[in-house]
Amino acid sequence: MAGPAHPHAMAPPKAGRTRTAPPQMPSTWWSSSRIRTYLLFDATGVIYFLVAFVAIRMIRALAKGEAAWSTAMTSLESPIYIAFHVLCLVSVIFVAVRFFRLFPKAQPRNLPVPPDPVIHATLYVAWIGVTLGLSAILAGVIF
Amino acid sequence: MAAKTIQPPAAVQKTIVITRFDPDKDEAPRKQEYSVPCEDNWKVLDAVNFIKDEIDASVSYRWSCRMAVCGSCGMMVNGEPKLTCKTSLKEYGERVDIEPLANFPVVRDLVVELDGFMHKFESVKPWIMRAKEKAEDKAAYDETKGTFSQSVEELGTFKQFSMCINCMLCYSACPVVANEPEFLGPAAIALGHRYNMDSRDEGNDERHDIFRGEGTIFSCSYANECSEVCPKNVDPAAAVNQAKFGAVIDWAKGLVLPSPSKSGGAK
Repeated sequence: MAGPAHPHAMAPPKAGRTRTAPPQMPSTWWSSSRIRTYLLFDATGVIYFLVAFVAIRMIRALAKGEAAWSTAMTSLESPIYIAFHVLCLVSVIFVAVRFFRLFPKAQPRNLPVPPDPVIHATLYVAWIGVTLGLSAILAGVIF
Repeated sequence: MAAKTIQPPAAVQKTIVITRFDPDKDEAPRKQEYSVPCEDNWKVLDAVNFIKDEIDASVSYRWSCRMAVCGSCGMMVNGEPKLTCKTSLKEYGERVDIEPLANFPVVRDLVVELDGFMHKFESVKPWIMRAKEKAEDKAAYDETKGTFSQSVEELGTFKQFSMCINCMLCYSACPVVANEPEFLGPAAIALGHRYNMDSRDEGNDERHDIFRGEGTIFSCSYANECSEVCPKNVDPAAAVNQAKFGAVIDWAKGLVLPSPSKSGGAK
C-alpha cells in the first residue's frame, strides 16, 4: 500500500490560529497614478475647509459695515487670494467632472433612467446654468 | 521534406521580487529577488510558477485555473491589485514586485487570510430567499404565490453583479477598507445587491440591517477604485452606489408614506 506523498502530508493541523503578518501596504503605492489621483481628490476637502474660513470672514466683514466690507474686498485682490481662488476653481472642476462621470452608473436600474449621455448633458447644462445665474446675480446683471 | 522546427520563444531576463513571510521564522514580511528568464507570452503567474518549479519550491501562493475564472491568483503587481493569470509580464519593466494583496493579513508569502472576507460574504445572505421559506406556517403558504420566471430586463438589473469571482482585488484597492477593515466592502455589497435586485428574491428585509448599519453602504466614499481593478467588469462601485440610491429613495418614501417602508433597496 502506497504511503502519503510526503511524511507530513496528512499530518493533523497545528492547534491554534495561524500567526499572520498585518496587512501590507504595497511598497510602490506612491508611484500609483490611481492612488495619487484619489489622494488628490480627498485633499480637495482641505481647500473647501479653507474656503469656509474665507466665507466666514466676508460675512463678518459685511456685518461690521461698509468700510470693513470694502477693506475685505480689497484684500481679496491680493495675488495670494487670487491664487487660492484659482486653486479652488480647479478643485471644484476636478471633483465635479469626476462626480459627473460616476453619477450615471449609481442610478437604480429598476427605475426608468435616461441614457448616460442624457444624464451627463443634464448635469453639465445644470452646472453651467447655475454658475452663469449666480455670476449674473453677483455681477448685478439680474436682481 | 525537412522537418519543421519550432523555435523556443525568446526569453528576457527579469528580476522578480517576491514578498516572503514564514510565520515560524520571520518577524515581518521581507523581500526576495529571483532572476527569471521570462518568455514573451508569459503572464505574471507563469513567472511565479517558474520560480516555484525551478528556483525555490518554498514560495507559497494560491492559483488554480489560469484563465481568470477561479479568482485565486490575485496579488499586488508593482503596487496594483492584479489577477496574475490575466496580467501580461511584458507590460512591466526589468524589475517586477509581487506582493500579497493589500489590506489582508498575510498567512505566508503571497497567501492572505480569507476569514474576514468570507465572513463579510456570508453576512449579506447571498442566496435567494423566498417568502415561503420565511413563513412561519409553511403548510398554509400559498404555493402558487410568486413565480421564479424572470424576464431578460429583470435579469439585466443584476446579471453584471453575479459575475464576481471572489478574487478580492476590490478589497485591496478600496481606500475605505484600508482605513476601516470592518467595512463590508465592495464584493460583499455587490453580491448582496445582486440578490436584492433579483426579481425572484424576497429577502430585502432580511438584508436591510446588514446594508444600512455602520460600516456598510454609506461608508463607501465612491472612490471607484474597486471597479477600476475588477478583472471581470463587475463594477462593484455601481452596485454599492445603486444600493445607496435605493436606501435614499426608501428614506424619502418613509417621509411621505403613512408607515415607513423597511424594504432594502429599490426593488
